[in-house]
Amino acid sequence: MKVSRAWLQTYFDTPLPDTQALSDALTFHAFEIEETVGDMLDVKVLPNRAADCLSHRGIAKELSAILNLPLKTDPLRQPLPYRDIVSPYLTVEIEDSNGFDKLTAGKCLRYMGAVVRGVKVRPSPSWLKEALEAVGQRSVNNIVDATNYVMLDIGQPLHAFDAKGISSILVRDAREGEKMTILSGEEYTVPKGTLLITNAGTNEAIGIAGVKGGKAAEVTAATADLIIESANFDGTSIRRTAQVLKLSTDASQRFQNRPSPELCAYGIREVLALIQKIAGGEIAEVVDEYPARPQESWNVSVSLAKMNGILGSRFTKKDVADVFTRLGLEVRVDGDTFTVTPPFERTDLTIPEDLVEEVGRIIGYDKLQATELPFDSAQGKPDQACYRGIEKIKDELVVRGFTEISTQSFARKGDVVLANPLDKSKPALRKSLKENMREAFERAKYAAPLVLPPNQKPRLFEIGTVFTKAGEELAIETSEPVSDLPKKIQNDENYEPPQYRLGAYQPFSVYPFIVRDIALWMPAGTDDGLTKSLIQENTGELLMRLDQFDRFEKEGRVSLAFRLVFQSNERSLTNEEVNGVMERIYEALKKAGFEVR
Amino acid sequence: MKPDAAPAQGRLHPITIAVREMAAIFGRMGFGIAYGPELEDDWHNFTALNVPEDHPARDMQDTFWIKDQPGKVLRTHATSVTMRKLEEMAKNGIAEMRWINPGKVFRNESTDMTHEAQFYQLDGFAVGPTGTVTLASLKGTFDRFYREYFGQNTRVRFRPSFFGFTEPSVEIDVWFEAPGGKGQWLETAGAGMLHPNVIKNAGLDPEKVQGFAFGGGLERLIMIKYGIPDIRLFHSGDIRFTYAFDQLTENSKQGTV
Repeated sequence: MKVSRAWLQTYFDTPLPDTQALSDALTFHAFEIEETVGDMLDVKVLPNRAADCLSHRGIAKELSAILNLPLKTDPLRQPLPYRDIVSPYLTVEIEDSNGFDKLTAGKCLRYMGAVVRGVKVRPSPSWLKEALEAVGQRSVNNIVDATNYVMLDIGQPLHAFDAKGISSILVRDAREGEKMTILSGEEYTVPKGTLLITNAGTNEAIGIAGVKGGKAAEVTAATADLIIESANFDGTSIRRTAQVLKLSTDASQRFQNRPSPELCAYGIREVLALIQKIAGGEIAEVVDEYPARPQESWNVSVSLAKMNGILGSRFTKKDVADVFTRLGLEVRVDGDTFTVTPPFERTDLTIPEDLVEEVGRIIGYDKLQATELPFDSAQGKPDQACYRGIEKIKDELVVRGFTEISTQSFARKGDVVLANPLDKSKPALRKSLKENMREAFERAKYAAPLVLPPNQKPRLFEIGTVFTKAGEELAIETSEPVSDLPKKIQNDENYEPPQYRLGAYQPFSVYPFIVRDIALWMPAGTDDGLTKSLIQENTGELLMRLDQFDRFEKEGRVSLAFRLVFQSNERSLTNEEVNGVMERIYEALKKAGFEVR
Repeated sequence: MKPDAAPAQGRLHPITIAVREMAAIFGRMGFGIAYGPELEDDWHNFTALNVPEDHPARDMQDTFWIKDQPGKVLRTHATSVTMRKLEEMAKNGIAEMRWINPGKVFRNESTDMTHEAQFYQLDGFAVGPTGTVTLASLKGTFDRFYREYFGQNTRVRFRPSFFGFTEPSVEIDVWFEAPGGKGQWLETAGAGMLHPNVIKNAGLDPEKVQGFAFGGGLERLIMIKYGIPDIRLFHSGDIRFTYAFDQLTENSKQGTV
């Protein structure tokens, strides 16, 4: 949710602190900030708060509690003017397969429609354009902008239809193969059962409920009369529709987080006021179909002792009461117990632990004193026997020269097959570690000169889960047979696996390498180490590895043999290049009295 | 096993080395090490953990499901092991538990330098009688874990978060100073106090039992500590990765308690 500081400021008399301070306040007490650009903050609203905080009002309310600044006005606390007006001009009918009688919550939880006559569609005033553009929205015209502005302001998705030829709206399921053209001009075949907003007179779809408006009733410069929709649709059904159609919109993102249907009435009030201000016209009426009216209010109670017992804090009654006041929550205190009556939009507050979280985060988790859990080792060792048994086998293999690898669990073939593989060439789960081991060993043989001394061949092992018809088990695989390797890993509660300390990671080159051997007679008075450094000094950056692999004495002379491995971090080397380096080494060695064999 | 012709020692994978360090640190705080199935059932991976039926995490594009075995998934987190342990606690009438669950988990998402479809998690939990295992003890546990794993300059901080199986929920950040580099805050794990529904689903009484749970990418901690740029190196089966570190010492000082 992109919010702008200027927009948030409209909620406060006191000047807000700078963007960085707002960002910190939200990060440590409410939501992570994805990024800040100038005046704009992109707030990563958490899923349990997306019902009320995908809005400037919601974020302002949070800031009000965190910074302890009162809100100037709160649109969700202003009394509502419209209530269940039955209309002579517009009728709305909901015919929805999940809830055909009005007592069952179906896919359409509420539908408010307002008729506005005689508006002037024109470009938006500059304040409105600027407000929308500051949060990355495109200005269309004053009507469309008004609906977007109110959605971004208080969180209620809204839509404006051109009322021409529409006197009755039917909210119904899509029929098999029903087609519909959305505002952008793209045509969609909507899956059967998708909830549509239709013109009951023509049976034509004018919107995909909760997702996108249709071309058929688009507001254009020629539009005079409007139908404004402020509705609420079931979150799951909207999410599925948006997913199937690959059409995620500001509206669908809000509905899938289940805002309270109570919000519809505030949305329509706000948008009608704004339209009258910037486009004129006359409100002819407001219809309200409300099949899923929620319970009026609910209570959540928590005691101070429980709160401190969960957080590990020593907050006082006053600390806690202060948090509830700052959050604007209606609270009754009875002895040690706080009973909160959450406002309709705080659908997330249902259990005592929810209130504990409110107190913890608003006071700040930095106020919690880190406390270690008491543990007395004399009372017995924690159970690590299974782990120790596995580590013991690994160590036995390491001692025998085996190096551990880890490979992917997906395989070309297997007993257990994925319903939705990511890599279509490996749709199964591995039933043994053999295939991966063969591949890894081939690559290890190739890479061996880079990591192992010349006389050592690679030996690999892996311990990992395999999946067979009989179930899953931990398997051991080695690149060559190991005599009397236990078939089954035994628990071992007493084995103490040695600890290793590693240095920083050293990136390895992905380019091919070139190997050269050199054998030479040492002149008298030099030693092996000096010889090695002499080679090193004359090779430059391309030398990846230098190993001495042979030494013998004959007739008072000493012969040494070295293996050189050349590789670049940036490109493939050519033989000519390496020949050049070798020439330089030969020259230097000869000059120092060595005889190259 | 008898050693054969005395070859040079092989090497352990960096994950093994890291898990050994973590096992030792958590062992000193009384944590055992638990394992559980990678091919999990819906109950232990989702339902029991308070993830509702229609939650987006259950979608095909996030979770690997198994052909012809409805209700089976590749576990998306090692928290499924926590659930199994809590059930064991209820069944055997155990009063408190502390376990870490290091293990492989799977996510159906495209891979890049910081994302893999399969990776390890260090998951874990501690529960005890109401009031004994708190959010402050989670902070104390991680404070010690990170100081011993990353170094004494490390600090821990919590930020608010949301997970279905915890309430309250937090993100755990660590202040890490790379050798020679400047310090920064890094997001490392999600955590919180086990949701009363999770305690209930295990067959325990949330009025009597309470505790914290945590989980985060294991490779990520290793990447931070050693400066590894790409998570895809870990399970590539490439020995050049295992050898891309100087093995400084083998500490003879033993791990636990």
